[in-house]
Amino acid sequence: MIMRRALIAFLGTALLASAAAGAPKQKTSPAPVPPPYAGHYQPQGIDEIGIWREDDERERALANSSQVIRDEALNGYVRSVLCKTVGEDRCSSVRIYILRVPLFNASMSPNGTMRVFSGLLLRTTSEAELAAVLGHEFGHFEQRHTLAQFKAARKGTDLLSWAAVFTAMAGTNQAYRNFDNLQISVYGGLMRFGRDQELEADLLGLGYLNGSELRPQAASRVWRNLILEVEASAAARGLKKPKFDNVSFFASHPPEGERADYLYDLAAPDSEGRDEGADRHAEVLKPWIAQFLNDQIALNDFGASEFLINRLGERGWTADLWRARGDLFRGRGHPRDHMNAADFYGKAVSLDPTLADAFRGLGLSLIKTGRVSEGKIALQAYLRLSPNAPDASMVNLTLSSIGGR
Amino acid sequence: MIKSVLRIAALCIAASAVIASGGVSANDYREMGKSFEIADSRMFVTPPRDWNQLSIKPGKFAETWTLDGEHLNDVTFFGGVEPGKPLVRELSKKHEPLPKFSEATLLIEVPELLQLTYQAYKKISEFKVTTVNPGNFLGREGVHFSYEYLDYDNLPRKGEARASIVDNRLYMITFDAPRLHYFERTLSDFRALADATTLR
Amino acid sequence: MKAVKRTIAIGMLGLALTASIALAQERTATKQGFELPANSGKTILLFRPKISVGEQSTGGMFEPNADWTDSARKHIEASLIERQSTLGNKVVLAAEAYGEQARLVEEHIILFGAVASAVVNYQFFVGNRLPTKKRDNKAGVFDWSLGDGVRNLPGADSADYGLFIYNKDAYGSTGRKLLQVFAALGPGLGVQSGEHLGYAGLVDLKTGDLVWLNADAAMGGDVREADGAQKRVRQLLEEFPGSVSNSAERK
Repeated sequence: MIMRRALIAFLGTALLASAAAGAPKQKTSPAPVPPPYAGHYQPQGIDEIGIWREDDERERALANSSQVIRDEALNGYVRSVLCKTVGEDRCSSVRIYILRVPLFNASMSPNGTMRVFSGLLLRTTSEAELAAVLGHEFGHFEQRHTLAQFKAARKGTDLLSWAAVFTAMAGTNQAYRNFDNLQISVYGGLMRFGRDQELEADLLGLGYLNGSELRPQAASRVWRNLILEVEASAAARGLKKPKFDNVSFFASHPPEGERADYLYDLAAPDSEGRDEGADRHAEVLKPWIAQFLNDQIALNDFGASEFLINRLGERGWTADLWRARGDLFRGRGHPRDHMNAADFYGKAVSLDPTLADAFRGLGLSLIKTGRVSEGKIALQAYLRLSPNAPDASMVNLTLSSIGGR
Repeated sequence: MIKSVLRIAALCIAASAVIASGGVSANDYREMGKSFEIADSRMFVTPPRDWNQLSIKPGKFAETWTLDGEHLNDVTFFGGVEPGKPLVRELSKKHEPLPKFSEATLLIEVPELLQLTYQAYKKISEFKVTTVNPGNFLGREGVHFSYEYLDYDNLPRKGEARASIVDNRLYMITFDAPRLHYFERTLSDFRALADATTLR
Repeated sequence: MKAVKRTIAIGMLGLALTASIALAQERTATKQGFELPANSGKTILLFRPKISVGEQSTGGMFEPNADWTDSARKHIEASLIERQSTLGNKVVLAAEAYGEQARLVEEHIILFGAVASAVVNYQFFVGNRLPTKKRDNKAGVFDWSLGDGVRNLPGADSADYGLFIYNKDAYGSTGRKLLQVFAALGPGLGVQSGEHLGYAGLVDLKTGDLVWLNADAAMGGDVREADGAQKRVRQLLEEFPGSVSNSAERK
């Protein structure tokens, strides 16, 4: 612990050539604001040029992919968050791709491609939190960790990012790896970094935040929330709390509690009052929450999904959130789940009486809890709202045949 | 040299596993006109043409038939999935659980059950149920539905299925194939096979 | 069907197996009646090879490694270009496609991989043959297709045949892992893991029929290295219809 603080302090000094090191155990000096940008790094030598070319190839495949979310507003927002965080100079060298993948991750590859997963957007509750993660990833990029890894990884190391593996720990160990395999592997660029590199990136990321107008304490919160999510996932599955140390990957990472701590400590003083950007974030994401939650629920990780929905609900429950929660419970279908699902769907339709899917879920849940006539009314509302639904005729059959199986 | 020998050994072991699990032959002949019991259940089928049954079963209640190999055409029978059970064998009950069929599952919810199973198992995001209609299956009222998805190998596939719930057990037949060429090619054979499936 | 079979002395490894197994090593098949002599005036459209290199995880799943894949692609492409003159007929490299066209090409290449896999698993792998095709196999029937949608591929209207190359390498696997994969995963819902798959297929661009296939589920050589990739390409294109042999003088 003392060693870690000293290391952090040392890195802070070494990295940015400033006398920042504070005494161990006390709140150390804030992560310094990074120096002016030296310009976009150009590949040097045959090896690096080759790496750039391969990276360009991957970017081209990425650009053609059906998983890229091309919406201008969403892309504009994510770009603005990055630029606000790291500054226009740094930002101008980056091309951002938002991918529809329900995992917490963002990464950058040497040629300046940034990949942001929809799972990250779903999990960040404010601009500052998103900025913390993007800044961290940009930190890896600026320090050319990604390049070093590319060079070193010719034979043997597989490539995973810190956050993605963390999510993998959330009971869906294979899930992340399979996503890597199944649909996004060709888009590459998911890195695993050493302990020192992670520290460097944390420092740099925090440094950007400190120099921005956003509240840097958000960085710590991101990490804490991820831990809570992982624990919720394990609890729902009847598993013990994950022992992060057992995973070899975490040997290269600071222990989670500690990381949350030092990220908090390294935030600039008097920055508590800064802008969190929670409202803006929620506003931009509003049209996407339903889809991102559907993707999340499809992972079949009840604990994590319930945790995320409830956290989003803390900012204010919306019809979409209630509907998603209804789907989650109805999908699990344990004895009391249908009762709860009916309750949630009911709340959804009272907030939005045009939400057809919520009426459908409400109808089905009411029927399954014995409230048949109420259920029928809800299903009829679904049909009125959605007369061309793919299952309309099936709903009609259900309505006419209820009463026995 | 050693490496290639080990690889051969690997294939040998794999081959023997395939053969061992399938009984006498690697994959079984499902001859047209004969009656076959599905997955030790009440479900029987008399195929209107010759089919092959793959020796590897997706789960306790399931078996897969094919004409050209499961990646080109895959007909999977589900013979009486019990309440509380998933459609197919879970990779890990604790870490990768699958959605479960339950006594409360309504017929109209069966497409969702299949969708969630596929999405959780194959780790895919893009899955869409395109039609859901009442229709006969096993000589009683059931549900017919169709779907399309981007499969784990990045090949877009289409599917069609029929299901019925009898005595609190789920009986279903699904057909999956690449949307390029193969789905259309075998669709009518699938439908004929589904028509020829009965419950005893 | 012209088949080149290489049986391995199983007894040497001390493994007990049913006698009917002949291991699929390198196998080649040609559609009956198909002929493509050298200098026939036909044009072959060579599509960008699909290369995937990675590792087999403990769970039996394939984890691609971007770096390895890039290296392999670089070396394999270079080797293919070098060897095109030995193919005996005019070869045109498929132009770079974008957007919808790129997606269509990609879908066909993946489908080719699925078809070739099926051929290896259920035809070349004799012990695993599909009963409905047994009579066909005995009669030397080789009847597989990508469908006539191939006509829509960019460049297809000015070529006669398409050459598809599909390569997938998973390192670090053992027999036990293959066993796990077979045992744990059901067909249709699991990954059919090959270890070192190499497929080269010639497709009639009017019908989509596979007229020639060279498919091996256990290829040698390390494709991440230039010499390994060259060896792989040589093996993939072995006995390519109309090819001029290595020892023949180039014109």
